[in-house]
Amino acid sequence: MIELKGVTRRFGETVAVDGIDLTIETGEVCVLVGSSGCGKSTTLRMINRLLPRSSGDILVDGEDVNDIDPQALRLNMGYVIQSTGLFPHWTVARNIGLVPDLLKWPARRREQRVNELLTLLGLDPQTDAARFPHQLSGGQAQRVGVARALAGDPNILLMDEPFGALDAITRELLQQEMLRIQKQLNKTTVFVTHDIDEALRLATRIAVMDQGRIIQHDTPEAILRQPASTFVENLLGSGDRGLKLLALRTVGEVMERHPEPRRPASDTTGLNEADSLRVALSAMVWENATQLPVLSKAGCEVGIVKREQLLQVRP
Amino acid sequence: MPVSTAMPNRVIPVLALAALGLVWVLDLGVVLPNRIVAGTGYGLYGATGWAGAFVVTALLLAAGLLATRPVPKRFPVLAVLLTAALMFLPLLLEALATRRLPADSAYARIGIGAGFWSLAFFLALMLTETMHQLKASRHLQLTAALLIILGWWVCARREGLGSLSLLREYNNQADQFTQALSVHLLLSLGAVLISAVLAFILALAMVRRKSWRRPLLGLVSFMQTIPSLALFGLLIAPLAALSEALPVLQALGIRGIGWAPALLALIAYSLLPMVRNTFIALMEVPEAVVDAARGMGMSERQIFFQVKLSLALPVIIEGVRITTIQAIGLTAVAALIGAGGFGTFIFQGLGQAAMDLVLLGALPTVFLALAADAVLSALNVRRAPGD
Amino acid sequence: MMRVWLTPVIWFALLGVLAAFLPAMGSLFSWVQPGTDDLVYSRDSFYLLLQSHAWLVLVSATIGTLVAVSAGIFVTRPWGRDFLPLVSQIASIGQTVPPVAVLALAVPALGFGEKPTLLALALYGLLPILRNTLAGMDGINPGVLEAARGMGMSPAGVLFKVEFPLAGRVILAGIRTSVTINIATAAIGSTIGARTLGDPVIAGLVNGNTAYVLQGAILIGLLALATDSLFEAVERLWARRSLAV
Repeated sequence: MIELKGVTRRFGETVAVDGIDLTIETGEVCVLVGSSGCGKSTTLRMINRLLPRSSGDILVDGEDVNDIDPQALRLNMGYVIQSTGLFPHWTVARNIGLVPDLLKWPARRREQRVNELLTLLGLDPQTDAARFPHQLSGGQAQRVGVARALAGDPNILLMDEPFGALDAITRELLQQEMLRIQKQLNKTTVFVTHDIDEALRLATRIAVMDQGRIIQHDTPEAILRQPASTFVENLLGSGDRGLKLLALRTVGEVMERHPEPRRPASDTTGLNEADSLRVALSAMVWENATQLPVLSKAGCEVGIVKREQLLQVRP
Repeated sequence: MPVSTAMPNRVIPVLALAALGLVWVLDLGVVLPNRIVAGTGYGLYGATGWAGAFVVTALLLAAGLLATRPVPKRFPVLAVLLTAALMFLPLLLEALATRRLPADSAYARIGIGAGFWSLAFFLALMLTETMHQLKASRHLQLTAALLIILGWWVCARREGLGSLSLLREYNNQADQFTQALSVHLLLSLGAVLISAVLAFILALAMVRRKSWRRPLLGLVSFMQTIPSLALFGLLIAPLAALSEALPVLQALGIRGIGWAPALLALIAYSLLPMVRNTFIALMEVPEAVVDAARGMGMSERQIFFQVKLSLALPVIIEGVRITTIQAIGLTAVAALIGAGGFGTFIFQGLGQAAMDLVLLGALPTVFLALAADAVLSALNVRRAPGD
Repeated sequence: MMRVWLTPVIWFALLGVLAAFLPAMGSLFSWVQPGTDDLVYSRDSFYLLLQSHAWLVLVSATIGTLVAVSAGIFVTRPWGRDFLPLVSQIASIGQTVPPVAVLALAVPALGFGEKPTLLALALYGLLPILRNTLAGMDGINPGVLEAARGMGMSPAGVLFKVEFPLAGRVILAGIRTSVTINIATAAIGSTIGARTLGDPVIAGLVNGNTAYVLQGAILIGLLALATDSLFEAVERLWARRSLAV
């Protein structure tokens, strides 16, 4: 658990972070979202003490971070940044093995861990391990960045706009990977982004920041339904709020389940349980259908979703 | 973190303390009975008495202290204080002259001591730091430099400093000095001019023909590696032989020693920075810009003169700046092969162990290099896009 | 691996052979200086001059590198950063001053001989190294440093494992520039009483003996080229090691 109590950071005359209170529960993904200069990165960097705070308290599992040696503190916090920060003179394997190396793990264990993480992040331990960062694509480099952050098996993961420099398709792919990995590992994560869609997608809870203060701190759904101010409303954008709400739920949550899986009708398009309602709606509009079957991985029809069910998400 | 004006400055106090230590430990000036014989050194107190010692000490302490205080406008005040201090620094030597110079000796003179140079150097550093804190424009920096030069010039013309050995040396050699200046400028600037034309042709050839790039760049950087003294020396024999063989050359004054080998060597050295910068500048004009120009219907000729050349000019001028500074220094070495210039004073002075003659050659050389740097940098700033 | 060293080895071998056998080749020089038997500089052996010249450059380069790199580290740490603008300005303005002027100014301040030469060489030679150290440190992607610290590396770890390897090539290039300048300046050091390969050149110029001049000039040129090719080899090796395994 990470607790921020009245944390303030001043740069000379300007106040970057203004007395914020924030509690991040163990295992949750807290996304700090806001426009540039709102203090979100500053907040993140105060947690691992890359920046000293001007006043207030930051506690990790009840202990003040200022009482912990900064190096020891950071070894237990994975850190991912937008520019990846991979060491250009080290191979991918050595980059990932950095924290295990600092923790003085034996070589065998380190090697094992590197291979494990390469596989987890969808990289090839055979070919990718010996490559240098400049030989990787942007998406691959950021995968290595995430692997490096996870290498020491830290309890906490700090991510500062990790996918901000990637193209839309790669970004979405990595967001999916992150959801999958988070389901597996359950790291307490603080994630900074300026992209509200990314926040809605990844967060357990979102903290909306503006001018160094937290405007609203709640679940994505609550923020969508009841924005606390016009600032939050503008951030969400009024044009597709309904669609954003739909994107939060999956087909599995609202479908009508058949008692027994069936063989699907041969030529219809089917949905997956993991698809969002937004995808489902889009498919229905495209197919001009009032309902669509939900297919299991094996291809059996396990239920159906009706259009009116989608439209009732907002009571 | 932005440096707030309220932050204590640590650099100026450190410099002030260093200057204070050096000015009290080292000799401020020397009283020499004549041109060659070693003289007696005088420290700050010995040279200027309690009044001078107090002024210098108080000034340094005040500047150091002021920099650490969050006083508003402290840096403008410091800039004025330090500029004024530098302007009137020669008065310390005048004080030494009035207090310690034996009145009855016509040959006695005042030499400048290490303490004086240290004080000048550290005051200049403090002023540099102040200018940086003020984010001073080049204009302001230049004004301060000119004020200081003016101050020294005025001081040098006063009666009291007539006994300064450097000035005596100058007065003895005034004609030679003027001649050395013109030879020095003629040789170094001539070499820069000729190599600029050559380098432009070479760079154009390299842009056109890929296969020329490696051998040409290799050749000019090879020449840059050979030490100046060696290159001057190596040119003597072939030029002497040529001059023997061709009376035309002899009539033109081209011989193994003198200005001819000097000019040749200077051109050889100037080629590398010129060719490299001109080539890089022409190559690095963004393809998109040239493309756009072509798309708008400009002819290749128009593109070259109006687009490529004007975009490349700042980098080319930077090459000219490096080359000019280098040529001014190398011309001083060329005095060894009889080319003339300020190097003549340096090597004559070294030969006769007359330190002030050495200074008379070395200081103008340094000054020329710094002036060339200032002028060519200013030229580039003015040319920079956006102005 | 061995082929990288081949060029410098050849240059240095040539230099050594010439330094040893120039005295025996006196008759070759008779065409540049006809009408005299005094064809070979003999006040000191070329070998001794070469040794002294190389020693001057080596010592001054070592001192210059140590001082410049330390200063470069000092002003790029949090506690020394206040001094960065001033130091980088000194490095760039200092390089405007011609080396021969520095050598000449060393005499009034320090006197004649080996030591003033050494000090002038070290002082002037540290400027390009300092400038390149600052440029090299400045050229490191800030994200890399941020990540290094964020992952829990100690300040010393960041310096030695990240900053030095990444800035190393630029620093090395600075040392190369510095040594090239110093070989040339040391030759002029003959005029202020240091014993270097410049001695035969100066003696030849003073006495009008072109053979002397040529002998000194050839050896100085060879020393410069040999040293330069040595740096070339080291730089190539560095590039190979840091980019491929």
